[in-house]
Amino acid sequence: MRFPLSISSLLASSLLLSPASASSGYHEQLNLRPLPLSNLLASFNFRSNTSLADFESQNFRLFPRSLGQILQYAGTRELHLRFTLGRWDAENWGARPWDGTREGGTGVELWAWLDAETDEEADAKWLTLTNALSGLFCASLNFIDETRTIRPVVSFQAEGDHPNTTLANAKLLHGVLPHEVVCTENLTPFLKLLPCKGKAGIGSLLDGHKLFDASFQSMAIDVRPVCPSGGECLLEVEQTIDMVLDISRSKRPRDNLIPRPIQGHELVCDTSKSYHSDSVCFPVDHLQSQEWTLEQVFGKSIKGACPLTEPGVPPVCVEVPHSRSIFASEGSTEIKSQDSASRCYDVASEGDFNLVLTQLDASSGDKELVEPEQPLLYADRSFTGYGQEHGGVQAILTNPGDEEVEFVYMESLPWFMRVYLHTLSTRISAASSIPTTSAETSAEIIKEIYYRPALDRERGTQLELLLRIPPKSTVFLTYDFEKSILRYTEYPPDANRGFDVAAAVITTLSPRKMNIRTTSLLLYLPTPDFSMPYNVIIFTSTAIALSFGGLYNILVRQIVGADEGFESPVKSKLKRFLAVITRRLTG
Amino acid sequence: MTISLSASALSLRRDPRMLKAPPYLSFACILIGLIWLLVLPLDEYSRRTYISENALLPGQVHTYFGGSEQHVFRAYKEEVAALSGKDTHEINNSIEEILKGFGVKVGRQSYTYGAAGGAHSGENVYGILQAPRGDATEAIVLVCPWKTIDGSENRVGVALSLTLARYFKRWSLWSKDIILLFPPEPKVGTQAWVDAYHDAHDPRHVSPLPLKSGALQGALAIDYPSDHHFSTLHIIYDGVNGQLPNLDLINAVGWIAGNQMGIPSFIQGQYAHQNSYQDRLKTMFRGMLSQGLGNVAGAHSSFIPYHVDAVTLQPWGMGHQDEMAMGRVIEGSFRSLNNLLEHLHQSFFFYLLMSRDRFVSIGTYLPSAMLLAANFTIMAIFLWVKSGQAPESEGDKSKEKTTALDTSNTVERDMLLPAAIVAGSHALGMIPLFIFNRLPGDVLPHAFAIFSGISIVLPLIVSHLLTSFYKPTVQQSQLTKSFSLLVLGLSLSTLATLNFSLSFIIGLLATPLSFVQPTKSQPLRWGFAALLSLIAPPTIAYTAAMAAGADVGDLLRDASFGWNVLGVYTPVAIWGVWWPAWTVGTVNVLGFAAA
Repeated sequence: MRFPLSISSLLASSLLLSPASASSGYHEQLNLRPLPLSNLLASFNFRSNTSLADFESQNFRLFPRSLGQILQYAGTRELHLRFTLGRWDAENWGARPWDGTREGGTGVELWAWLDAETDEEADAKWLTLTNALSGLFCASLNFIDETRTIRPVVSFQAEGDHPNTTLANAKLLHGVLPHEVVCTENLTPFLKLLPCKGKAGIGSLLDGHKLFDASFQSMAIDVRPVCPSGGECLLEVEQTIDMVLDISRSKRPRDNLIPRPIQGHELVCDTSKSYHSDSVCFPVDHLQSQEWTLEQVFGKSIKGACPLTEPGVPPVCVEVPHSRSIFASEGSTEIKSQDSASRCYDVASEGDFNLVLTQLDASSGDKELVEPEQPLLYADRSFTGYGQEHGGVQAILTNPGDEEVEFVYMESLPWFMRVYLHTLSTRISAASSIPTTSAETSAEIIKEIYYRPALDRERGTQLELLLRIPPKSTVFLTYDFEKSILRYTEYPPDANRGFDVAAAVITTLSPRKMNIRTTSLLLYLPTPDFSMPYNVIIFTSTAIALSFGGLYNILVRQIVGADEGFESPVKSKLKRFLAVITRRLTG
Repeated sequence: MTISLSASALSLRRDPRMLKAPPYLSFACILIGLIWLLVLPLDEYSRRTYISENALLPGQVHTYFGGSEQHVFRAYKEEVAALSGKDTHEINNSIEEILKGFGVKVGRQSYTYGAAGGAHSGENVYGILQAPRGDATEAIVLVCPWKTIDGSENRVGVALSLTLARYFKRWSLWSKDIILLFPPEPKVGTQAWVDAYHDAHDPRHVSPLPLKSGALQGALAIDYPSDHHFSTLHIIYDGVNGQLPNLDLINAVGWIAGNQMGIPSFIQGQYAHQNSYQDRLKTMFRGMLSQGLGNVAGAHSSFIPYHVDAVTLQPWGMGHQDEMAMGRVIEGSFRSLNNLLEHLHQSFFFYLLMSRDRFVSIGTYLPSAMLLAANFTIMAIFLWVKSGQAPESEGDKSKEKTTALDTSNTVERDMLLPAAIVAGSHALGMIPLFIFNRLPGDVLPHAFAIFSGISIVLPLIVSHLLTSFYKPTVQQSQLTKSFSLLVLGLSLSTLATLNFSLSFIIGLLATPLSFVQPTKSQPLRWGFAALLSLIAPPTIAYTAAMAAGADVGDLLRDASFGWNVLGVYTPVAIWGVWWPAWTVGTVNVLGFAAA
């Protein structure tokens, strides 16, 4: 196992962002990255620190008190909370922001290290924590009960700097609610935790209408202790929001959100087509670069810098090639990076800040955006099979790179999905450059299995697999399961919708640490018909069968005295046979 | 209570009239069953359709498709027209290019099926328009085969689907992914795709899908070849093996077309439906016939066995509705399906439609097929009881009637020969089932002609052998018929719950089997035989083919295709249930002594 390496690389990357983060204070940064097909990734990052001493004496300044008290009460050493909606389109958008470490599966995901000597104590504290957070974030976190809680072994490692003794006494618990719909009521408490509350600074851009119209959005809260070398240990709370906006969708004015067909003359057509005319148009607008401003895309502009931020970290950065011109509001200063792929802006504390990205002339040949980075792994998971009795899961994991990738694949499955672990198998197929399928066996792909089977109504299945994919190949991981029949009270009101199965979590260990989550799944269980007609049919059929059987019996059966009837031929033969035997034996 | 009941029942069974009643009862069953079906179209027995699933909210949203989308549509139509007559690969390349142009993920799948000696191969191309805020748990499908049901090019349909896809891409309200499927033709391509989507495909013939989405919640197929404006919408809903989509889907689409867009819709090809009794009956019979045959009606049919509700929409007639109106019907239907929180489950899955807005549900129509099946069972029980009685001599008749059922009159039943005959004929049924699904298509008509000959001659040979070697008794005759009818009644009543129409049709054609019996009169015996050969399965097959204006070879090829590719089980019902029952009935008339 190579965890130390991955952790240090992660820490290095987080330190790189803000060199001054190792001191008590508050920083925020918005990173804008245009993506292909006129999408825009906006990564908001807010980071407040407090010294551990201040935290323990309940001296909160920048650290949110509401969260801090919950953490203290529940004995939480490190906390990670995710609210995610939509899916990251890795094929078009490339690698995930923050290497996927700041996103969760669809719905709500929570994992934390709790101070506990025993599992029972950990469960009690977990219950406290989930219920308190549920109230704080207006989410159904209190529904994370023991059936949805697992204790991952290799997938999650503590990110903070913990003394070895505390970590030894801390228990890691992980819970997920795939069906939770993230919405505005979760954003409001999220913004309230910020020192500037969304009134100033980059937080002022956040608006429920735009955030929840995004193609992908993830809100994350991470609390962890950080001990800079030689300095005082700090408790750091990091809030992250990543959203992918469709630029043309976001640019629609608020009073006219309906995507009505535009006027005919506004269509962008391919004029080279022979049939092109005023009323015939082959559209090419999706290929065209768009002009956009911060105000258009977010519906408002930045209301000056947050006065609580410490200087040194520019609040807004844009990742576009230097060749594309950007205009910023007055009073801001542009800082261009060395690598000619990004630039940052210092925002004045007074006045609105806006950015204008100009439309790129297609003929100039300049690049509109920075090419997205190729991810280490593509993951796709779906159900196989049909019917209400059995099913299967197939995960397709593709390594597009030239390096072998080692990773942990973790599933947290509900108890009513009874996994047959003996059916777990892998198949590998190399990319088309190597025509033959390599003969690697399952044993070489799956290196280790951590499996905790489900107990009905008590806990779900926990499955962690340590896998390895050779370069440029695809691994098909499949297993079968059986669908349980629930008690009729256990079905939710929308029983025919199916049950959500949480996303699988993939943690790469080498060549570098990265997280990927698959989409969640919808599992159909055998559902009783809660309506009347079938009950009536079944009831009447039973009644008729019973009465018919009896009546028919009376009508047709001959009733004779025991001594009057025919002797059954078998019986008489048997008697004769026995008589012969007894005669032989006796005589 | 029980004692008095059993006492009265016992006295009842000693009543000689009891033994006279069953044939009349059986006949009454048939008569009531038939009348039952015939009264269904009346207002008193059928109901108006209604939307049961409130989440569908059909026609509650504004549809915006139109305006400049028409310019785009015209361009796509030009693109599609340019592909006319090209091979599937080239067509798919172009469709893929257009789909990728506006950011839809595209996958391809190739397939090869063998049926009736011919190979059906092709390549599907499909795009997944990912719900902008969705999580890939659910999907709805828009199927647009390159060829229509009639075999012409689905030009307007393909261009319309592409335009709609581009238009749908702009909306952020989709809660489900939208899959756009372009199979080269409506039957095989769709089947291959749906099989592979549910991993029920044979990997030797069908390749897996490179891209997948979530659970399918519904599908619409477009069948729109003509360029001229249309007046009405034909909704095709029959699935494989007579399975039907949820009635809510048909109603929702019909409602959107009729009440929102002002496009009347009709079903079962009954274009001019006056809502009269005759028209309702005709629609119902057409529906039953298509359900009974169980074959594919359109590109949507293959979805239904996987519990994915689907219909095909076919613009019809000359009128003033244009492509944009059709597009808005599809947009409205997709918005309705998008509203679904749960899988369609509220409304009926078993129904007979009389017109677009009248139906009868299973509780109302099932008794008619059950009564037909019950007639066989009643006769079987009757013959069983009768076979247990000693044959009455002339002298006995003068005796007191009450002793007719005395225990002294009962006899042992010799069941070996009857059981062997019935089991043997059912076993023989496997032979036509096997050969007609394996033989190549060009041999099928000849093979069927030979088989028809054998099928006519076989009962003669068997009965000749029986009379010359076994001298079968009256009791054996009764038992043979009893066993055969028992199996028939059992199979048909079971089948009625799966495919009502098939069970009803077979039941109706087999009703004479209840009443023909060996007679002493030689002309009557041959009369019976002639009657039976009129209702023999091969005779019916030839008559049906002639009535439909088709060649019997086409019929057999379709059946073989249905069996091999689509999993249609109608041949099992014909060769495993009907034909053996007919054979035993004919042998019984010719080869046994009369009572």
